[in-house]
Amino acid sequence: MNPSIIGQMAVSGALMGLVYALIAYGFQLTYATSKSINFGQGELVMVSAFFSLTLTNLGLPYWLMVPGGLLFGALLGLVVERAGVRLALEQKSEGWILLSIILGLFFFSAAENIWGRDDRPFPTPISADPIHVFGVDVTRLELSVAVGVLAIMGLIELFKRRTLLGKAFEAVSADRDAAELMGISATRTVMLSYALSGAVAALAGILVSPITTVGPTMASALILKAFSVAVVAGLDSGFGVVLIGMALGALESLASFYLGSGWREAPGLTLLILALAVRPTGVFGKAVIRKV
Amino acid sequence: MLIVDDLHAGYGASEVLVGTTLTVKPGAVVALIGANGAGKTTTMRAVSGMLRPSRGRVVLDGKDVQGLDASRIARLGLAHSPEGRKVFGPLSVEDNLLLGAYGRLPKFLGFKSGAQADLDRVYGLFPRLKDRAKQASGTLSGGEQQMLAIGRALMARPKVMLLDEPSMGLAPVIVQEVFRTIRRLKEEGITLLLVEQFAKSALEVADYAYVMERGRIAVEGTPEELGRNERVIAAYLG
Repeated sequence: MNPSIIGQMAVSGALMGLVYALIAYGFQLTYATSKSINFGQGELVMVSAFFSLTLTNLGLPYWLMVPGGLLFGALLGLVVERAGVRLALEQKSEGWILLSIILGLFFFSAAENIWGRDDRPFPTPISADPIHVFGVDVTRLELSVAVGVLAIMGLIELFKRRTLLGKAFEAVSADRDAAELMGISATRTVMLSYALSGAVAALAGILVSPITTVGPTMASALILKAFSVAVVAGLDSGFGVVLIGMALGALESLASFYLGSGWREAPGLTLLILALAVRPTGVFGKAVIRKV
Repeated sequence: MLIVDDLHAGYGASEVLVGTTLTVKPGAVVALIGANGAGKTTTMRAVSGMLRPSRGRVVLDGKDVQGLDASRIARLGLAHSPEGRKVFGPLSVEDNLLLGAYGRLPKFLGFKSGAQADLDRVYGLFPRLKDRAKQASGTLSGGEQQMLAIGRALMARPKVMLLDEPSMGLAPVIVQEVFRTIRRLKEEGITLLLVEQFAKSALEVADYAYVMERGRIAVEGTPEELGRNERVIAAYLG
């Protein structure tokens, strides 16, 4: 084994792993406020990517397309909250699980009908030429993924810590009833978390599409790994998903290089099974005992 | 200031409140006493909107509020410091206090300067909270958490404050401190509905008191009147 090749594989895998981390972070946002997650999150990634592609084809420059795509993702997040989650939560039912899956299927069919079944390239002004950093070659495109992921997560964390609305978000996460007594609307806070989660999913789609192409099934593999990352890291540590996401990305890339591309999915699934068996609350998670 | 009329509420099929009626006049401290399970905490929860009443009225400052969301009722001027204190454990002491004033502060930036006068007032009442301003509130002692819960409710500048079992689980010396604080708030003219296990201490600070039994008010009167009522003495003051 050539150490420089290992390094090369690990770095480009870890950069892709940040996309898993970003999608997993989207799960954490809604789980914090409502203890629910959108099982159709992958379809949000995909539909937002298609929408952003359409914006690009309409002639919108990249830096205007990105906020447009994020806004669209936020709106989709609100649709999921309103149509799939709110009623179930009000009745203390777990119906949001099935409803969010159904909404995902709906988005999937809609995307196939609107944009077709083919995978399509996603144009970007960011160059795919490699540059040499610390002995490994990375492309500006791969670096843009890292910058985008860390920037949006950093901004959201800053929002949570520095603004009163963000502190209210944290208060609802800590104790929904007590937050209501402060005059904070829990319903609106849950809406906000779904909008943020949708925007985060859209950004994941925009960042990954130039590398993987856009197609109706583009997110099915991504979402499985994002789940693994969220479960392994725990549903309440943003730092944890970044670390686990990068580690998983690196492992996958090494597995597919040394063992063959058929082994690509092995590390994620192994980690998932191990985590569920050994530490179901996640490596960085807090134990929550839920009586049923 | 607060009128509760024929309030019915409960959990699922079991009704806990079966027609509770009480009044809190502006500037009055009113005590609500009674045995465990009589419905004192349920009354508080039904008034503040944590629990939706099935029948009856709650009038806050001339406005019907029964059936509204708790957050709505809070913004209309009711601050409920709940049983078990319920501070936001992962958040700092200061953030807890700032969130107490959530309804009237700017939501993004500049919120701290908007609340500085109220922060100073609460820190004046509870100097220990100032020392621990940056500490996660979950790491405070029970007594300090109770001070924080009271301070957080004061931050809202409420028209009426509900204070549920402030002495629960605290050492006697801390309980005395809590009652000293309540007395001080009374001198400042706060309107307060107080639920307490320690009926004696509660009657000492109250202007008026209600005794609850099985979901309704059984006896009411000034502390002097209750002090002469043999049934009340036997059950709660003995």
